[in-house]
Amino acid sequence: MPALPLDEAGKYVAAAYIVFLALVLAYVAIMAAKLQRIDRELGELADLAERKPRPDAGAPGTDARADRDARGGVGGKLFEREGSSREELV
Amino acid sequence: MRFPSLRAHAAITVAVLAAGFALVFFYAPNDADQGFIQKIFYLHVPLAVCALAGFLVAAIHAIRHLRTGDPIHDARAYVSIHLSVIFGVAVLVTGSIWARASWGKWWVWDEPTLVSFLIVFLLYATYYPLRYAIEDRDRQARYASVFAITAGAFVPLNFIAVRAAQSLVHPRVFATAEGGMPPKMWVAFCACLAGMALLWTCLVRFELAAKAASAKLSRLRRALEGESYVASGSRIAPGAPSRAAST
Repeated sequence: MPALPLDEAGKYVAAAYIVFLALVLAYVAIMAAKLQRIDRELGELADLAERKPRPDAGAPGTDARADRDARGGVGGKLFEREGSSREELV
Repeated sequence: MRFPSLRAHAAITVAVLAAGFALVFFYAPNDADQGFIQKIFYLHVPLAVCALAGFLVAAIHAIRHLRTGDPIHDARAYVSIHLSVIFGVAVLVTGSIWARASWGKWWVWDEPTLVSFLIVFLLYATYYPLRYAIEDRDRQARYASVFAITAGAFVPLNFIAVRAAQSLVHPRVFATAEGGMPPKMWVAFCACLAGMALLWTCLVRFELAAKAASAKLSRLRRALEGESYVASGSRIAPGAPSRAAST
């Protein structure tokens, strides 16, 4: 079969590359939405941690740690712990 | 081995892919037979190579999961298959566009390369219903690993069978008696293949990181709210241990 002229072939080539780009963008958009949900839930948990009564409230030297946890330190600490939870990865 | 951060990995991926596509359109010559339409080759073939290699990577992780029982290998196998199926969709769509432009048809059923890839793709498409049809998480992971290994064995078999077949229309480019591609085309192709491999690994890392974050978030919520919590975002099978009562 002879080669298609450039104006004809260009449409097909553009379509193929646009399909690829669209797929990658769709995937990244879905993942970004998931990460937004995780971020929102983390904020809710930080609020929950702030409201929760602390059993060691009032003990000397605990205020700084409690404040840090309430600002998201709880999540941060857990996220840093290597291999702390692998049970629900899938 | 130490990997770069995900952000650096993503930046390198974009740079290599952009360089590869620039080489395709500004450096590699037009094919003498097909002309400009052959530029789809630099997208279609690296996608196919990465998709098939991803299925093999999933099989390797599945073997490691069965040997060690570590769920991280199951998660890696799952994500590898997930990304490879997405790449497979891109392979089928770009291949169809190329076929329409080159052969005048969207699909050719008597061509072994196309049909065998479709069979492999459909085989892996059944991975999800198989996996989520099983309620118990341990059995789910074990059966999914067995599936990934069995299906992974089809990939090299499929490759050998296709090479052995007498092709009617689909061209053979690599290691043919006719000599294959000129050097400029090889450079562009290798750059695109490297970019596509980087994209695949980057997306795998991205998805694994998101899954790990989601899992840790569920643990944190359970710790704060008590055992009555059911993880809303994770795909936990109903009746999973310790959360069955709350469903």
